[in-house]
Amino acid sequence: MININSIIGNIFEDEKLQKKDFEKIRMSRTELEKRILRKQTDIGTDIGINLDTGNHLHNGDIIGNEEIKILVEQTPEKVILIKLKKNSQNLAILLGHIIGNRHRPIGFDGEKILFPIQADSELEVFERLFKEIIGDIELKIGEKIFLPHTSADVHEH
Amino acid sequence: MNHIPRIGIGGPVGSGKSMLIERLVPMLAKIGYSISIISNDVISKEDANRMRTNLATKRGLLPENMVIGLATGGCPHTAVREDPSMNLSIIEEMEENHPELDLIIIESGGDNITTTFSPILADYFMYIIDVAGGDKYPRKGGLGIVNCDLLVINKIDLAELVGANLEIMKKDAEKIRKEKPFEFINCKTDQGVKEVMEHIIHDVLFDLSPKSIQAQKV
Repeated sequence: MININSIIGNIFEDEKLQKKDFEKIRMSRTELEKRILRKQTDIGTDIGINLDTGNHLHNGDIIGNEEIKILVEQTPEKVILIKLKKNSQNLAILLGHIIGNRHRPIGFDGEKILFPIQADSELEVFERLFKEIIGDIELKIGEKIFLPHTSADVHEH
Repeated sequence: MNHIPRIGIGGPVGSGKSMLIERLVPMLAKIGYSISIISNDVISKEDANRMRTNLATKRGLLPENMVIGLATGGCPHTAVREDPSMNLSIIEEMEENHPELDLIIIESGGDNITTTFSPILADYFMYIIDVAGGDKYPRKGGLGIVNCDLLVINKIDLAELVGANLEIMKKDAEKIRKEKPFEFINCKTDQGVKEVMEHIIHDVLFDLSPKSIQAQKV
């Protein structure tokens, strides 16, 4: 097992790292939040990640040591994407309030708001919750790499 | 400060969280691992007291003050997810005063299938259910069942008595958890408990020897 204790950089923040070819390790969003994690890379290298308290990985991080460098790739997950049909402050606040009441983190994809779900059946749940504003929004299910907005990275249940 | 690996154990009331700890600790202690237990509950400290009596007082597998009962006074998931500050303050004291510990086990109070542990609190999360809830349990999903690092299905000796089909539970668990592991266990006989311990040693302790043994080698 190769011990990893630090993050070298992130390909989305460091151009020099973008051009290189790395071994890859795929992780779910839940796994990225962990401080201790043992996993295998795409070619089977056994990796033991043990970061300092308070640290965790992000999509695009490069981890490793002098022997090996590995690219962390976040796996896509099921989300609901919402597009507002009209530019209304009240509508946006109400939408955020309803999603927040379900303790979902939110993210943005251009003008779309997205939040994670576990099953397609949740679309029906949220259509019901959005009943009073359903005419002003478009909802659809998608698979996305979900990056929670840092101020809305709440617990879920 | 020395960060001691922590595992969280969640699951419904009566699923066998405390019993699993009572079975795991002797196996881990036999290898030489030094362990502390924090047992959360809403009001009662009954589980903590029982584990202290059975594991510390009677068997001396760990000091009595290493089994801590924490009455959280509210929804069990609040104390391990939304606001884990009570648990964290105990852990910080342990990390400062007991660097010899190899592992801290945090037991949540009994809760529902959406239970998860804050990643700030637990490095590894096990969710335990039992067959008496019916063989539909794994496919019901919920964050606890889907997202935990290890799903444990307890009381398999009761399957026939309650009409639960273990093959269905296995297929559903494989489907809903994809490549993530699960184990069938029977805490009354220790069936499957060794496999749970092996997950902990591999995934959380990275196959390292107990600190006490490492110190002897230096």
